[in-house]
Amino acid sequence: MNDADVDAERPNGKPILEAAGVVKRFGGIRAVNGATLDVREGSITALIGPNGAGKTTFFNVVTGFYRPDGGRAAFQGDQILGARPHAIARLGMVRTFQITKALARMPVIDNMTLAAPDQPGERLLNVIAHPRRVRRREAEVREQAIELLEVFDLARVAEDYAGTLSGGQRKLLELARALMTRPRLLLLDEPMAGINPTLGRRLLDHMQRLRADEGVSFLFIEHDMEVVMNHSDRVIVMAEGRVIADGEPHEVRTDQAVIDAYLGSGTVVEDERA
Amino acid sequence: MILPLGLTLNFFTDTGFWIGVGVLAGIYALVALGLQLNVGYTGMTNFGAAGFMAVGAYAMAILVLKAGFSFWLSLPVAMLIAIGFGLLVGLPSLRLRADYFAIATIALAETVRIIAQNADSLTGGNQGLFCAEGGAGACYNDAWTNLSTTIEGWLQSLGWTNPESLAPLLIVVWLFVVGATLGLRFIQKSPWGRVLRAIREDEDAAEALGKHTFAYKLQSLAIAAAIGAFAGFFLALDLATVHPLDYEPVARQLLGGARRRGGLLDHPRGDAVHRLRPRRHPDRSTAVLHRRPGADRADGLPAAGDVRQAGGDGPR
Repeated sequence: MNDADVDAERPNGKPILEAAGVVKRFGGIRAVNGATLDVREGSITALIGPNGAGKTTFFNVVTGFYRPDGGRAAFQGDQILGARPHAIARLGMVRTFQITKALARMPVIDNMTLAAPDQPGERLLNVIAHPRRVRRREAEVREQAIELLEVFDLARVAEDYAGTLSGGQRKLLELARALMTRPRLLLLDEPMAGINPTLGRRLLDHMQRLRADEGVSFLFIEHDMEVVMNHSDRVIVMAEGRVIADGEPHEVRTDQAVIDAYLGSGTVVEDERA
Repeated sequence: MILPLGLTLNFFTDTGFWIGVGVLAGIYALVALGLQLNVGYTGMTNFGAAGFMAVGAYAMAILVLKAGFSFWLSLPVAMLIAIGFGLLVGLPSLRLRADYFAIATIALAETVRIIAQNADSLTGGNQGLFCAEGGAGACYNDAWTNLSTTIEGWLQSLGWTNPESLAPLLIVVWLFVVGATLGLRFIQKSPWGRVLRAIREDEDAAEALGKHTFAYKLQSLAIAAAIGAFAGFFLALDLATVHPLDYEPVARQLLGGARRRGGLLDHPRGDAVHRLRPRRHPDRSTAVLHRRPGADRADGLPAAGDVRQAGGDGPR
């Protein structure tokens, strides 16, 4: 797939997330120091950089988990910087966590159904006044949840407590759960870490399919250069709290600043698509 | 059995004693249900349950004695006041997490008690509240006493020749316990309850999935406050006085497992037995028995006073 194809599929290619000059300080350290980046609608964008570059902190700031110390960020045109995490999630920008947050003492299926939007039964008044509507929606939600669990090979553990899952399964559960919210943009923090290669490939395939079928955009932090170079159509590189490069995988790979800061001169990654 | 100092243990075979214990067990079962919602379901370590009880009981007594409310109207109003208090407590303190929230709730419940002990003109200070001065027929629980007599009449017509004076309260309290258990079970099984459980497991995860966790925690607190208010009403009716030392914040109601649905109901005896532990409380052991208008019912129950005062007393 080349440039022209990508643009043909998404003629507007307009940014879904625009962040400008985002700053987050911890005491005297500027973990994110004026990061400016765009994520284009319908893209699978990788966010890479050395440890301590501020990638996860950037995630935490734009998703509302940290209070920003400066900058602006807009999701689909709505200003989001400083908003509460749940409000941002409801707009359609949903994240996963580097250290998984499976809800351990809840069954896998409840982890999934919890995430569904528009469940009237999450309001106490509706629980009492409209039990039928709640049950009907619950049945729909459950069906969707099982379908998604099947995709991620988790359907057979649906009734098990999430705490009994392996690390890799938890990663998958967290991604599946995030998908239950019907997001427009998914922010994934190291989604492949700890997943076996077969499932990892499945996860990547599923990302591609979601983008093609539903136009979901992705921004993911990843350290596996093979995945980054072969499965993303844009790569953003952070170092020391700033964005130092931004472009297509082949451009970024040859960028001298990126090689110096992160890749190192010895890195050779085959591009399957070349 | 060894009977030092010539004490007898007759009360163990006395129905009235066990009914008194049953009433207290029911009251604390109610408190435990509220805690089960907060601690077990929402993951909020709330040590302020006694504060909700105190606000409910005092609001009820003050509304009746000082504001001229009828007893029946005072109940919903006092419940709303307790809920308002719960929300007021929650708004600032729910921003604290885990242990810090727990500390704040102890402090707030203690604040309530200390205010009750010192705001003499409103709360009667260390005297507590029971009847309006001089008014023979003006106690806050008059309306209840009438109803209680009516229920005793029903019990007699059912064949209980001489029903214990606390039997009607026992019945009403446990009806409330059953009602609250079923009601909580219903809402906890709903998607609403699922959000609470998610907050208990990981608040950040719930937020990341678009749940307004703060609003849910406030709701959890408000419901516990409402239940706590009723426990406070019942304790006030049981003791026939509203006294600050009955509402010392303590954290010990969780026998049987915090998350267990039904919680204490699985172990009702656990609660009652717990309350039977003898405690020292020199300034109240006699005062309550003498002051209580219905003190005659303590007839033949040397331990009953101890049991009742133990209701509000905590490990020091």
